[in-house]
Amino acid sequence: MCAIRFAAHDVSPRSLSPYTVPTASLRSEVVVSRQKGTGPLAVQSLETAPEPSLLTAESASAAPPSGPWILACSYCNWNSAEIGVKFDKPQGIFSQLSKLRHGEDHSKHSSAGDVSPKKGDAVPESTSARFAAMKSFYNAQNNTNSPNSSSLSNLMDYGLSSPGALTRIMNLYSGNNIGGLGKPKAKSSIMREADSASEGFRVADLDESAAISKLRREGYGGTVTNGQTKLQVEEGARFADELWPIPYLLRTKRSKRCPVCRHIISKPESKVGNTRWRIRLVANNSIPSISIKPLNPASSTPGTSDLLVPLQPAQFLLTFKNPMFEEIKVTLATPATTPGRFASRVTVLCPEFHIDANTDTDMYLEDVLKDGEKGAGRKRGDESTSQQAEAGKIWERGRNWVSIVVEVIPASIRAELGQGALKEDEDILEIPMLIRLEWEGDVSQDQVGTTAGKEKDTREKKELAYWCAIGIGRISQE
Amino acid sequence: MSRKPVKGEYIETDTGNKVSRKAILIGTQHIMLGGKTVIQAEAMIRGDLARTGQAVSGSAAAPGSNTAVAIGRYCYLSKGCCLRPPGRIYKGTFTFLPLRLGDHVFIGEGTVVQAATIGSHVYIGQNVVVGEFSIIKDYVRVLEGAVIPPNMVIPSFSIVAGQPARVIGEVPEGGHEAFELRELYKTVGNNPQPLPV
Repeated sequence: MCAIRFAAHDVSPRSLSPYTVPTASLRSEVVVSRQKGTGPLAVQSLETAPEPSLLTAESASAAPPSGPWILACSYCNWNSAEIGVKFDKPQGIFSQLSKLRHGEDHSKHSSAGDVSPKKGDAVPESTSARFAAMKSFYNAQNNTNSPNSSSLSNLMDYGLSSPGALTRIMNLYSGNNIGGLGKPKAKSSIMREADSASEGFRVADLDESAAISKLRREGYGGTVTNGQTKLQVEEGARFADELWPIPYLLRTKRSKRCPVCRHIISKPESKVGNTRWRIRLVANNSIPSISIKPLNPASSTPGTSDLLVPLQPAQFLLTFKNPMFEEIKVTLATPATTPGRFASRVTVLCPEFHIDANTDTDMYLEDVLKDGEKGAGRKRGDESTSQQAEAGKIWERGRNWVSIVVEVIPASIRAELGQGALKEDEDILEIPMLIRLEWEGDVSQDQVGTTAGKEKDTREKKELAYWCAIGIGRISQE
Repeated sequence: MSRKPVKGEYIETDTGNKVSRKAILIGTQHIMLGGKTVIQAEAMIRGDLARTGQAVSGSAAAPGSNTAVAIGRYCYLSKGCCLRPPGRIYKGTFTFLPLRLGDHVFIGEGTVVQAATIGSHVYIGQNVVVGEFSIIKDYVRVLEGAVIPPNMVIPSFSIVAGQPARVIGEVPEGGHEAFELRELYKTVGNNPQPLPV
């Protein structure tokens, strides 16, 4: 399930778009490469080399275009012909690329374990190839070193998932190998270190003069950007012309398990192209949902912007909706001023309230109807008395939701923007809020520690607390 | 003349589509709406850019066989966006190829879409350019101002931004409900409902 798939439908070669070729043959890979100059990395797609005979396919029953193929970015017009990379066929770009890069099939190196050092006479170049060569070399060294499986190498095995591990550890303690302790000392001298290129050894190139002169010649623009280095770790490129097209990492399908109760929380469908989930237990479905809107939307006359006016109190309605079938008690806490350079004042007028339980879905419709009538009636009544936001009182209550008022006094950005320019999104007003929930629920059966056999009717007090950030809006910079 | 209905801002069809009277739909015979789709004012759909070339095969071709733009259910086309089928040279002649949208696709204001295929549950922000023949899979969020280069393929559950657009993040399992557009659909039309609490 967690295999990284390097396959299908990620980029459509332009001359192999879904319209011309049955999808079964559409196996290609997205390749990320550099954009010309200092620009960012760009996603490439496959294209045939611009040969006039191909661009003007004359007959309707023309043969499918044949190579050579190149990778081309339709955003920056870079193509792989610039670095001399051309492909014979539009499939299997990954192996073709590594063949071009290393002169051999990459798959030989990835199945490294059994490759003997003799076999790889060609000098391995890439990091992974050198690692494989070195690994096989030291494996061979280990084997020749301990032909009669000394107790030292036995010790290495213990940690591994051997079924008889326990008995062997017991043997260790019972003194079976006391006699063996002397052995490894005698033979440790046979092992040697890797010293040739075919064994994965490479002398560090300390002569940097070529690189320095190149840096002088090409300047900063000729070097790779930070982002490129991060992406091209294995290529080890330092200059832009050493960059190499590398495959795009595809998404993996992961399932998640609760660390406490071992329940599977999420499990995707195993088919590659399917986006459905077999199990998806999301916390959002069992904690109150929060929505926010301005208290007096009518007051903002059309034409004025949605920006918050600095130093002018603004009131917002926070609505909490309870998805659980138990009544919950909610306690809110916010810092008096928001963190960051621009501290806005925040007041939650009613930080403690109850929300009624959610009801079963089959009674839902009836409830909604009742709820609607009630709400409408109250709202109408309120209009006449022009409800004021009062400290300690909730604004409005529904079947399983409660609205409260939050007052914010946005900071003045201009007054405090003495030290340096405004950073990106620094003018956004966000309130950090600690939400604490308390309710009485059934004793959970799924917890590891609970002893089975207790009466099922017992209720226990539960609580949950978490931080969240509530985005209010941008502050005007006037 | 006496039975003339009162004109609302939207034309609501039997299948639940809500099309603004100010929307610019060209070549309507080549546009397929799946139903319950909202098309806001000044949104443009270029149905006239239909496939050419094989149209000769049988003059009595079934209507809809030459669809230029196919839209699924619960899509939402915001003000001033433009859906334009992509075109290229195919067998020696230039032709347009259909543009397909899945279900629950939101397209922000001022966005131009020239994709080949957009999957279901896709959110595209404001002022985005979706390049020709790009393919967007399901549950993708494109942030505002992104420029998706032509032929790019965006895998499912990606968050995409930048110029050129790149995958910058992943949609978590808990974020799937946010792509549902059923509630948003109810808030527009000739008698709009407010969003539920």
